[in-house]
Order: sequence, then C-alpha cells, then structure tokens
Amino acid sequence: MTTHVAPDLTTPSLYLSGIPHRQLADMRATSGLVWHPYEGGGFWAATRHADIKEISKRDDLFSSAVGHTNLWDLEADALEARRSIIDTDGPDHVRLRRLVSAAFTPRNVRRWEDTTRAIANELVEQFVSDAGGDFVAKVAAPLPIRVILTILGVPVEDADFLVELSNYLVEGTGEQPSLPADAFGNTTPLRLLPFASPASHALFEYGERLGAERRAAPQDDLVTALMPAGDDGDRLSVSEYRNLFHVLVFAGNETTRTAITHGVMAFGRFPDQWARVTADPSLLDSAVEEILRWATPVLHMRRTATEDTELAGTSVGRGQKIVMWYAGANFDDAVFTDPDRFDVGRSPNPHFAFGGGGPHFCLGAFLARMEIKILLEELIAAGVTFDDVGEPVRVASNFVHGVLSLPVGPVR
Amino acid sequence: MSDEVVLVEVRVDRDLCVGVGQCEALAAHVLRVSDDGVAEVVAPGLLERSLADAVIEACPTGAISVAPGKNDSMGRGAENRSP
Repeated sequence: MTTHVAPDLTTPSLYLSGIPHRQLADMRATSGLVWHPYEGGGFWAATRHADIKEISKRDDLFSSAVGHTNLWDLEADALEARRSIIDTDGPDHVRLRRLVSAAFTPRNVRRWEDTTRAIANELVEQFVSDAGGDFVAKVAAPLPIRVILTILGVPVEDADFLVELSNYLVEGTGEQPSLPADAFGNTTPLRLLPFASPASHALFEYGERLGAERRAAPQDDLVTALMPAGDDGDRLSVSEYRNLFHVLVFAGNETTRTAITHGVMAFGRFPDQWARVTADPSLLDSAVEEILRWATPVLHMRRTATEDTELAGTSVGRGQKIVMWYAGANFDDAVFTDPDRFDVGRSPNPHFAFGGGGPHFCLGAFLARMEIKILLEELIAAGVTFDDVGEPVRVASNFVHGVLSLPVGPVR
Repeated sequence: MSDEVVLVEVRVDRDLCVGVGQCEALAAHVLRVSDDGVAEVVAPGLLERSLADAVIEACPTGAISVAPGKNDSMGRGAENRSP
C-alpha cells in the first residue's frame, strides 16, 4: 500500500494558493492508487485520467449512493435527508436524471442563448463603464445564476437573494462557515442539510414555495415541469424535489462562475492566448474547453466500492472510499501534451471538468459551455483586454475551486 | 474506394441512456434527446462510420451502438454503402 500524507490533499487552506499540481503529479507517477489518510480512516486517491475514467464508468462497482459523494460518511438519516441526484445510483438516478435531462440538451440549451447574451451584454457593458472592478461580483457570479434562475422560472428580483444563499453554501464547503445555525429561521439540525449550512434550509424553503406556486399556476419553466401532474405524484418525492432544486441552483451557478473566473485569470496571465482568441473566433469552442480544463471547478467526487475489486493494480475492498481528484486527470501528461500550458487551440481536449463520464456526467455541461462562449463573445465585442488582472481571493475548500473575488483594472 | 462513405445504423439502449445529450451535440440529425429524457434515433438512423464511432466514444453511459442489422451482399453487417 502506498501511503501519501504530506501535504494533506483535504486541508481546505491548501487551496488558498491554488490546486496542488506538483503533489498531484507525484501521485500520478506513483503506481496504483494512493492511500490517503482522512479523519481516522482514509480513502484511495485516484489522480490519473485513465483511472478516473474507469471509476466514473463503473457505477455498479463504485457507488454514489453508499456513504456520501463527499469525503466523509453521513449518518443514515442525514444521507436520506440530503440525498440529491448526485448521491444516487441505478434506477433512482436514471429516474431523477431523465426528469431534467431534456431541459439541458444542446437543442434546448440553445433556446436560452438570446437570454444569456442579453445578460452577458448588460454585465460586460456595466463592467466596462465602471472601468473594471471585482470581476466575480460584477460578471462571473451574476451571469450563470441569472441564466439558471430564468430556466427554473425564479423571478429576477429574487436573484440577489439566491446568489447570497449560494455564496453561503460555498463557504459551507470551507473551514469556518460564518452563519449561525438558526440563520434564515432554520430549525433543522445542520447535519441534515446540504453543506451543513442553514442557507440550504432557506434554499429548500424557497424551492418549495416556488413549486407550490407553479403547481397552482403552471408556467413555461423547469420548476413547473418538475411538479407532479395529476396522479403522477410518485415520480418525485418532496425530499427529492427540494434536493434537486438545490442542486440546480447551486451547481447551475457556482461551477460556471468558477470556470469563468479562472478563464479571466488565465487570460490575464497569458495575454497571447486572449489575443489569439480575439483575433480568431473559430477558436472560441476550443477556448471554452481549455478554460474548463484549466479551471476544474469541482475538485473531487467520491465513490464507495460495492465489492472487493481491483483498480490500477491496487486491491480495493468493499466499502472503501475512492476519491477522484479531477485536476489530476486534467493535467495528466499521459493524455494532455504540455498540460501546464494554457492553449486556447488545444485539440483534442478530453478534460474531466464535467466528471469522468458515466451516468453522473454533468447535467449542465452544454449550458455551461454556452454561457462561457457567449460571455467570451461579448467580451471580445466590447473590446475588453485583460492587461490588469489582480490577485484572486480563493475559497478555502477542497471541494470547489472557487474564487471569492478577482480585481480587474480598466479593460480597454 | 477511398472516397466511399460507409454508413452504419446506430441504436440507443434505453436502459443505459440518461439523456446526457453528447450524441445530440455531435449528430442532432440522427440522435436527439426526447422529452422523456432518453435519446431517440431519427429514422433511418444512419451515420457515417467515423461519426458513429465518435458518438459511441462520447456517450458517457455507453448507450449508443451500431445495430447488428442484416448482412448485405458484402457480408458487412449493418454497414450500408453509398458513393
């Protein structure tokens, strides 16, 4: 057994200085999986592209429903209360996924292009006339949340409140959440709430209220589509609905915000790449993929072995945890030539920013791509340059590669 | 022969498909996710071999395959040839 301890990949503050690429490279170079101690137990760390692909594909062997998809196990009642589409396997997952799949296919995502462009245009124009500022607060955060809320059918005047909740959830992934347990009128024990955050209570409550409104007065939106019709009431339980709403709001904005922000940081660091994509719009699609690879917005997901098995030559016991560190895959030189180079023309680019494949492949992948591409187009059209990108304030989290703020100077 | 386009018939395993939409992104004229969240084949379901291979590779749940089909006179299974 290869044991790896220093530095601890799970220490949230480690990520205040970015992804530990050197350590991940060392782990990739180690044969087999690496055993990583964690809270009195431990997990197998997968860092190679091929291994993460195999784990993701073999959802029968590597379960999302057992224990939890985060590093720590949840008690049975907490797991049930917090179980979302992310923490399901097999038929339960298929049923939940199919309820929302159609809304996020390439064809249906295209319906939201005009909305997205209008929002992106407004935010970019404001950013330019403000002569810059915090790119996260002014552009990267509001764009995806406003788009996903439009798709869900959340009134635009509530967007700021949901952004605030989402920010608290991000904080909940870190070391020192600042909210008191009874914030937002919460009375639920925190361990029963996603991210153990009272903001999840507020999001559940908001989603349920909106659902009730849509059940009474259906609209052409996703929340209405998720409401049971007639005697079809069994297709989505109350707990499934609120956790699905929670995932759609959180994953639908936090991850894309992160990708956009890391993209701007990369263009600030490699101005030749911004010049390339500005000069040649045919590079936009590959630039989006490279931003996704570079950003790796979700740092890991965990699986649990359902039987004794073997992976990469390592024996994995039934019930043991396997954690996929996606940045390991996205900078794996067995797959990516010169992985530390940010190359907007990179092709092929089989990154795992949307996971390593399998049934849990990111639901919002096409939406994220569309949003990032349209934002780049609007930034280019506005003549924006990234000559003055400052230091980011990163989130202390081993789970999301988040950025709290990014000062950007006058942009043209 | 080198200019020949080889067409194959693709099919979707409804048990495996969760409607991710990778197939639709690559070949919307032949594969699209319907309202029930499962991909369906638009008849006659023929794709160029290379595109079919790309779609099969891109599907995260391995739900797309080439239909075995009737053997043609060349004994090439589901492959249909056109100039």
